[in-house]
Amino acid sequence: MIRLGNAATIGLMALSRIAQLIAVILLIATFNFVLVRAAPGDPAQVMAGQSGASDPKLLEDLRKEYGLDKPYVVQLASYLGRVVKLDLGYSYRQRRPVADLVLERLPATLLLTVTAFCLALLIGTTLGALAGLAAGTVLDTVFTVLSLVLYATPVFWLGLMLVLVFSVTLGWLPPFGYETINVKLSPIERALDVAKHLIMPVTSLAAIYLAIYARLMRSSIIEVAQQDFIKTARAKGLTGPSIVFGHMLRNALVPVVTVAGMQAGALVGGAVVIETVFAWPGLGRLTFDALLQRDYPVLLGIFLILSIVVIVLNLLTDLIYKLIDPRMTTGAA
Amino acid sequence: MDAVRSFLRHPSGMVGLVVLLIVVIVAIVAPVAFPVSPWEMVSAPFTPPGEDGLLLGGDTLGRDVAAGVAYGARVSLVIGIASAMAAMVIGVTIGAISGYFGGKVDLVLMRMTELFQTIPAFVLAILLVATFNPSLLTIILTIGAVSWPPLARLTRAEFLRLRNREFVEAALCQGEGTLRIVLGHILPNAISPILVVTSLTVATAILLESALSFMGLGDPNLMSWGFMIGAGRTVIRNAWWMSVFPGLAILITVLAINLFGEGLSDVLNPRVSRRRS
Amino acid sequence: MNRREFTQAMLAAGAALPLGITRAAGQTRGGTLNTIIQPEPPLLVTAFNQQQPTLTLGGKIYESLLKYGADLKPMPGMAQSWEISPDGLTYTFKLFPNITFHDGKPMTSEDVVFSCMKVLTETHPRARQNFARVASAEAPDPLTVVFKLKQPFAPFLGCFDCTSAPIVPKHIYEGTDFRKNPLNDKAIGTGPFKLKEWVRGSHVHLVRHEGYYLKDQPYLDEIIYRIIPDSASRALALENGTVQLVQWADIEFFDVQRFKAQKNLEVTTKGYEYFAPHQWLEMNNRIAPMNDKRFRQAVMHLIDRDALAKRVYFGSAKVATGPISSKTKFYDGKVKRYDYSIEKAKALLDEMGLKPDANGKRAEIKYVVPPYGESYQRAGEFFRQSFARVGIDLVLVGTDMAGWAEKVGNWDYEMTQNLLYQLGDPALGVARTYVSSNIKKGILFSNTQGYSNPEVDKLFDEAAVTLDEARRQELYSRVQQILVEDVPVAWTLELEYPIIYDKAFKNVVSTGIGSHETFGAVYKS
Repeated sequence: MIRLGNAATIGLMALSRIAQLIAVILLIATFNFVLVRAAPGDPAQVMAGQSGASDPKLLEDLRKEYGLDKPYVVQLASYLGRVVKLDLGYSYRQRRPVADLVLERLPATLLLTVTAFCLALLIGTTLGALAGLAAGTVLDTVFTVLSLVLYATPVFWLGLMLVLVFSVTLGWLPPFGYETINVKLSPIERALDVAKHLIMPVTSLAAIYLAIYARLMRSSIIEVAQQDFIKTARAKGLTGPSIVFGHMLRNALVPVVTVAGMQAGALVGGAVVIETVFAWPGLGRLTFDALLQRDYPVLLGIFLILSIVVIVLNLLTDLIYKLIDPRMTTGAA
Repeated sequence: MDAVRSFLRHPSGMVGLVVLLIVVIVAIVAPVAFPVSPWEMVSAPFTPPGEDGLLLGGDTLGRDVAAGVAYGARVSLVIGIASAMAAMVIGVTIGAISGYFGGKVDLVLMRMTELFQTIPAFVLAILLVATFNPSLLTIILTIGAVSWPPLARLTRAEFLRLRNREFVEAALCQGEGTLRIVLGHILPNAISPILVVTSLTVATAILLESALSFMGLGDPNLMSWGFMIGAGRTVIRNAWWMSVFPGLAILITVLAINLFGEGLSDVLNPRVSRRRS
Repeated sequence: MNRREFTQAMLAAGAALPLGITRAAGQTRGGTLNTIIQPEPPLLVTAFNQQQPTLTLGGKIYESLLKYGADLKPMPGMAQSWEISPDGLTYTFKLFPNITFHDGKPMTSEDVVFSCMKVLTETHPRARQNFARVASAEAPDPLTVVFKLKQPFAPFLGCFDCTSAPIVPKHIYEGTDFRKNPLNDKAIGTGPFKLKEWVRGSHVHLVRHEGYYLKDQPYLDEIIYRIIPDSASRALALENGTVQLVQWADIEFFDVQRFKAQKNLEVTTKGYEYFAPHQWLEMNNRIAPMNDKRFRQAVMHLIDRDALAKRVYFGSAKVATGPISSKTKFYDGKVKRYDYSIEKAKALLDEMGLKPDANGKRAEIKYVVPPYGESYQRAGEFFRQSFARVGIDLVLVGTDMAGWAEKVGNWDYEMTQNLLYQLGDPALGVARTYVSSNIKKGILFSNTQGYSNPEVDKLFDEAAVTLDEARRQELYSRVQQILVEDVPVAWTLELEYPIIYDKAFKNVVSTGIGSHETFGAVYKS
């Protein structure tokens, strides 16, 4: 096998992954469509039902308007055709293009999930590394117990308990929402206002992942510390920080990054619950509302976007993986 | 029986086991301890804990929260165990086929597994339960259907590891059938890590069920912890006890299962255990 | 319509003018009203969507010809007066001058005719039925609209509230695909408030329509509807003053009592007279044992409806006596009463042969829980316990909105709960549930339980075309007696939703339309 340069390897890999990505997206689109359409319930009925009055003409109009009167195969074909053109369709209920709906909700969800993800990764790995380096001490035990408890806590319940303590009892933090509306704030004040609203949702969402990453990092550090190259480095006379930062952390991070990438999807799932608890105006709530109302195009659009986001995150994780773990590069080609 | 003995010496594993046993006992004696249905309205709405003979207080309709927590243990354990079993059956089947046959079959099955992992498990679970209407059976099958991928990957890895071992080849030489080899030789050797991960899947299944019930997608005929928290969410200002106690019940149960599972893992297969945790 | 009523209608029309002037005296301009909209409406054009939140918000943007008082008598809306010909076939409305749409174009009788006869008949199921009775609608001059009916229709004057007949601009919709018109996003109506901004998932911002035709109105500068999906958060927002008005189910029933104690807030159950939400346990009359009248009567006996009102609705409800709400015209309380009695229920069940088996179980019935919020869930749980007392297992079936609509619409259910508005007149809001001509598969809010009684059909039909009020009362009293005996559905409660508002705001609840009203007259002191 020709040994390629690092960059070329990564480039090739990225290309083949992108090709895979497109195939997978179409597959997911089909899967989504079949799954969502397997559901009982006629969207026209729902829309009519919500009007508080209904008659055959209304149902017929609605079915025609949204192409529900056509055979499934035709609906699927036209759906896939639109997916290729990146047209996510039109919402039954909201009477707006799905892309608009998803895009206007996406920032709030990204803010929530990305902040939670970064915090969990940063704090989790730091705590985990500290615990790992201090393995066997009281500090280690405390961290371990704490992460075990967090790992067993239902996300939504944690959110509720935070509301109970910090909003209901202490009155320190706003219990819901994204920002205080209808007050004129400077950009900085507004950012602070949003940040204040963000604290509890992010904490609830991050907690479980923080626990996972901390545990992973801890055992990873312990494992790496026992490996030969660290012993070699120590034998060479390298000590203290240079070993910890130069070798151990970099190597110990590999499994954490892998898991973190794999959990991007789960994080988004958690956002659905958290957005419900905190009335956070993001994609998670949109998903749940759309589901209850059988708003197929919105559901299909969200699933597709989420799937793409997750695949892209996985791809990025792969790339980071290659970058932090040089041993992997040759093997991959 | 070395395993049993070393488990008995495993402190956190034992803590987990004991707590878990307590939860199981509560689940079993619930109908005796609380002969009146947990749905029965026995007091004034929002009775605080300790008043009116209600240890953990009353809910919106004046139902006994303590009875609910006790009956909820049954629901959580049944759903947790049954759906972990479902996940194990699906995961082991797919992982075994994939790992044993390898090649194109492996490629296709693993792509499918990836596909399932791509869609966020909870969102998929919401979709499935809503699609087929929430009931005990649909919830179990749904949680099974979204929880199998890690088990499939694990089983596949174990099968890949064991497939070329001497005892498998010996069996092949003796002309034993594929099914016999898989069930009789490979699976028994792969079973302990699978059991460990399955036991941990029980914990995530309980969490998943509680989240579904919390969102109003539980079986409306079952008094479950997630349902109770969901019912208590909007009244958290009036009645904190409605959401605090069932939540603690989930936390304690899940924690106990995790401790037990990890203890099991340490004892049964230190190799996998170190890699996973 | 007789002379006396005709005069009354004219008086009602005339009375509003001096009233308008006196009102204007102590009122100040300015101020912001923060309130809640829940759930977020899909769009604001009330002509195309009649969900409650759409109507609440759209009521500020779109107006109709009339308003209705708490007594359900018509009051001037965009029509300052009206006349009904003695034969009850010709309705002539005189519009206020200088009404303009939010885009500055004048609103004339042409817009009214176009809206009622072209747009609403296409897009609005209720209005479609109402205006199907119109033989011709004309606009002889810009301020006059004349409707000629095919035959007399007693509640025709009750068809012009802002939820049933919102007026949309002809110049925007003529010749277009109404539902897909790009200007739907702008929501252009004639109401006192116009849409300034709609931040999805966050809030809808309405500001005053400067060209509003009533002098000095609207008094408020702006109304902000905040979208707060979580009910605990909504309660908190009201409590800490973030919002100053809540309506319908914004506040959960158990919280309503709490706000009565809060000094700066006014809690009222007025303002729902036109809708008079009427709730019942719906039983599919086609399936055994619900096909037996005695079973349905037993159901009336076995539900402790007082306890239901107290425990599930925390007192925000009144026990219903029959098909017509006590808040609606032609209500008659002199009907058979079903008291809470397990014994009577058991006796009826025994009599019809539905005896308990060895385990004390008489039957198992599936109950579809309507997916419209917590109180429906709690009510289902309450019913289950009630039925258990007579040995009937009620199995709750959870479903989503689509599933519920499909099951009930297609008659694929045994029991469920339903809630319908009375719409100001039994001919509009009550008959639809019981007449056999409205047994229509696939259609919600029709006679889904499949009750059929030729006598009831005849009484409802006659009452709808009878103009004499006394005669109508006779017919409706008779219909109530028959229905209460037959129990096609088990009426449970008249829900009394609250409107809770900051006392600094005046005139908040001034009509029977309540929070759907235009709010042009609301002011802040």
